[in-house]
Amino acid sequence: MNYYDNAVEIKGVTKKYDGFTLDNISFDIPKGCIMGFIGQNGAGKTTTIRSLLHITDINDGEIKLLGLDHIKDENAIKKRIAVVFDELPFHDVFNAKDMARIFEGMYPEWDNAAYLNYIERFQLPQKKRIGQFSKGMKMKLQIACALSHNAELLVMDEATTGLDPVVRDEILHIFMEYLQNGERSILMSSHITSDLEKIADMVTFIDKGRILLTGYKDEIVERHGILKCSKDKLAEIDAEDIVSIRTNNFGAEIMVNDRENAGYKYRDCVIDPANLDDIMLYYVHRDAKEWS
Amino acid sequence: MKLYRSLIYRELMLTRKRFILMLILFLLLALLMMTPLILVFVFKPVEGEESPLEMIPLFVGIVALTGGFMAGTNNGLQKADISSGWKRYSFVLPPTAKQQALSDLLTKLCYILFFGLLSLAFEFVYTAAADYSNFGIMLYIYMLNIYLGAVCAVMLVDIAYSYIMMFAKYKTKLKLIGTLAFVGAGVVLRVFDLFPGMNNDDKSAKDGAMISQEMVNKFDTILCSKKTLLCISAVFVVLCILFFLAMWRSHERREP
Repeated sequence: MNYYDNAVEIKGVTKKYDGFTLDNISFDIPKGCIMGFIGQNGAGKTTTIRSLLHITDINDGEIKLLGLDHIKDENAIKKRIAVVFDELPFHDVFNAKDMARIFEGMYPEWDNAAYLNYIERFQLPQKKRIGQFSKGMKMKLQIACALSHNAELLVMDEATTGLDPVVRDEILHIFMEYLQNGERSILMSSHITSDLEKIADMVTFIDKGRILLTGYKDEIVERHGILKCSKDKLAEIDAEDIVSIRTNNFGAEIMVNDRENAGYKYRDCVIDPANLDDIMLYYVHRDAKEWS
Repeated sequence: MKLYRSLIYRELMLTRKRFILMLILFLLLALLMMTPLILVFVFKPVEGEESPLEMIPLFVGIVALTGGFMAGTNNGLQKADISSGWKRYSFVLPPTAKQQALSDLLTKLCYILFFGLLSLAFEFVYTAAADYSNFGIMLYIYMLNIYLGAVCAVMLVDIAYSYIMMFAKYKTKLKLIGTLAFVGAGVVLRVFDLFPGMNNDDKSAKDGAMISQEMVNKFDTILCSKKTLLCISAVFVVLCILFFLAMWRSHERREP
């Protein structure tokens, strides 16, 4: 087992499609962290995940997973990672028991007891065909499979999308448990920011194929704020402090990128804390600057 | 070994429905071929060329031909893997492209072996019932030649089909590529002149029969020859290698 500081290292990755480019993106996920990967639909989250898992080839850049090259050391990496997709990629004719038989030969560290434990915990029937499972059950089964071979890195692409809040909460709780030994890391792409608000240590925000923000979630949330003022006051706000401005009948709400500094500069204005949803929303409109 | 057991288990489980259907069809045909034999024993035996016992080589040939076609045909696994999303998922699983291709080949060989043994068993029953023991090993060579020949012909088409299917990565593209693969496989059949009933009329015998007696005898000699068996076996090995390479390429190919 090799030593590594970052579970994922992405440096200058570019992937070109007709009409979309993942443009020179870079970010790291330190070992033991949950990284929330956020962005609106079509922002490039799935392309990034497909690139780092070598489902697709990249045009440029370097990707390291668990300290190993994602292409050269692909075979070694695959034994130590787990992936959960937004849709269950298992055939409908199988049942939970069949999946254990399939995976136990594939993963050297497959733990059947842990798998059965998750199946029991998720209250999944062992002999019922997967085709008869509900969406929540399918996702639980995929997660049970992903967590049963002692993977050091768990990559999830919109895994909680489409699930009800109760199931989502249950799954998030399991992820927290899974990370407890400090040796495991999670990359979780989602556009449901409330989930990431609950569990993510770090956040990377992607939009139109470019990384806009990456870092520790608390720092990002603390740094940003929503300054509320009248439309007349707008002219007094420095352009460099503004991410974008949302106008309404009563005035303007401005996302500032340095809340502390803005608090000193604009003492007569109210600055509310921002959450990940707000940050995402204001950054998406950064080019328009003013929107309503 | 454990890895291959898992991979083959998955493939066999996925193809079992198709397999059962083929097995039923095969058994029905084989039993149908047995009916004249049963009738011979129940009713008064007919002697000479009219006797159903004289038809045994034909029965053996039909059963071997059917078994060969069923064993070598495409098992629909690629299509099922693409539409379920497993194809994409397999890129993040530990088995390498080579290991997956080898398991595809081993699964195919399992079916080939199974139907081969089944065809042999039926041949054994036919020949035992009709006392063809004086033919010795010749009838078995004849049966193996037909069986392996059928397997090779169908495998050739399957390789073409599988190679074209490699380009389908998404459910949406599956239909289009599937149609193209079907057409492509048809082209292979045409090129290798494997379409049934496509024989040139000019080649028919003078007495009006599709094939002259001379041709039939020549054909029989070829089918009963050990040299033919060696040649067909060599072609079969080459086709197995080609199948493995096509599947390897298919598993290795990344999404655009």
